[in-house]
Amino acid sequence: MKDPYETLGVERSASPDAIQKAYRRHAKKLHPDLNPGNKESEERFKELSVAYGLLSDAGKRARYDRGEIDATGAEKPRQRFYKDFASDAPAGHAYENYSAFADFADSDDILSELFKRGANVHVRARGPDVHYHLPIEFLEAVIGGTKRLTLPDGGTLDVTIPAGIRDGQVLRLRGKGRPGIGEGEAGDALVEIAVKSHRFFAREGNDIYLDLPVTLSEAVLGARINVPTPTGSVTMTVPKGSNTGTVLRLRGKGVPRRDGGPGDELVRLKVMLPEQPDPELEAFAAGWEGGKAYDPRRDMQP
Amino acid sequence: MKISKREFLVRAQLEHETLEAWIEEEWLIPSEATNEMMFSDADLARAQLIRDLKDDLGVNDEGVGVILNLVDQVHGLRKMLTELLRSVHSRA
Repeated sequence: MKDPYETLGVERSASPDAIQKAYRRHAKKLHPDLNPGNKESEERFKELSVAYGLLSDAGKRARYDRGEIDATGAEKPRQRFYKDFASDAPAGHAYENYSAFADFADSDDILSELFKRGANVHVRARGPDVHYHLPIEFLEAVIGGTKRLTLPDGGTLDVTIPAGIRDGQVLRLRGKGRPGIGEGEAGDALVEIAVKSHRFFAREGNDIYLDLPVTLSEAVLGARINVPTPTGSVTMTVPKGSNTGTVLRLRGKGVPRRDGGPGDELVRLKVMLPEQPDPELEAFAAGWEGGKAYDPRRDMQP
Repeated sequence: MKISKREFLVRAQLEHETLEAWIEEEWLIPSEATNEMMFSDADLARAQLIRDLKDDLGVNDEGVGVILNLVDQVHGLRKMLTELLRSVHSRA
């Protein structure tokens, strides 16, 4: 046991006031209840208490100075402080106080769970959701299917794409997010779908749009032609006298819908002249009197 | 182990009026069984802390209330931190 004067850091001739002042200066820093996590300060505080107990009592101080008692004095140092009870106290005890973090406990799953159940808990909290981005082909979006998503950790996730999914739609895969804490359920995987564009199909709502080139003869004379749809080719009749911009509707060949029937495919005709100049066609056009009377720009006069 | 008010006064070396005042201030919150106040070891240690603050550290009455409130908050935080760490470790 160290010399009590040394422990308090005072001269042997220090006045009682000076001793009290020295004690308070140290005790404010070392009191175990003001340093609940610091083992060393508890030891030093015990030493300090013994030293102060000895030197603050004029009788004991005199006996110590005379060498009648040793530095431990007669005082029995305290073995247990309030903090020892506070850390073992059961949940819901009278002095329990969570106000230091009650505000952020409200906005945090884990903390609010701990907070609600007091301290004597088995923690359970739902795992966090995880967000993924999944690009899919245009036709996959229309028809549906299964996509395998490779996760950053090397794992995979099979995503069932419902037919008719839209660009930007988010699929929620229950329980495929991060694991929960304790018995808490896992979070969800939130997969945002990005639909790529298609070479010739376009989509608006549940309808598919297609610009379909037809020959001059098909347009003028009418024809039965093959038209691609998302689910394969179908035969369609081009009526006699069709034109660029004529829209033909293939009922039920659009995007499947969960509510009600599927959308339609809307085929917009585009009359195409042959890629190579054709002398026969040129000769016909040159002698075609009826064509000269037709002005397709008649509505475009400024 | 719970002790009676009489025994508490002896062991905490407190005057009756002092104890009444401390309970009034809610520095101490004894439990109550069949209309009689009962004190725990924690109450005893807490009384000792209050005495330390007042007598040895020179804290005045207003300061004691503030300090006790903060000490209780620190213990709340420590408990929560312990739980949090435990749950983090049990996941690992």
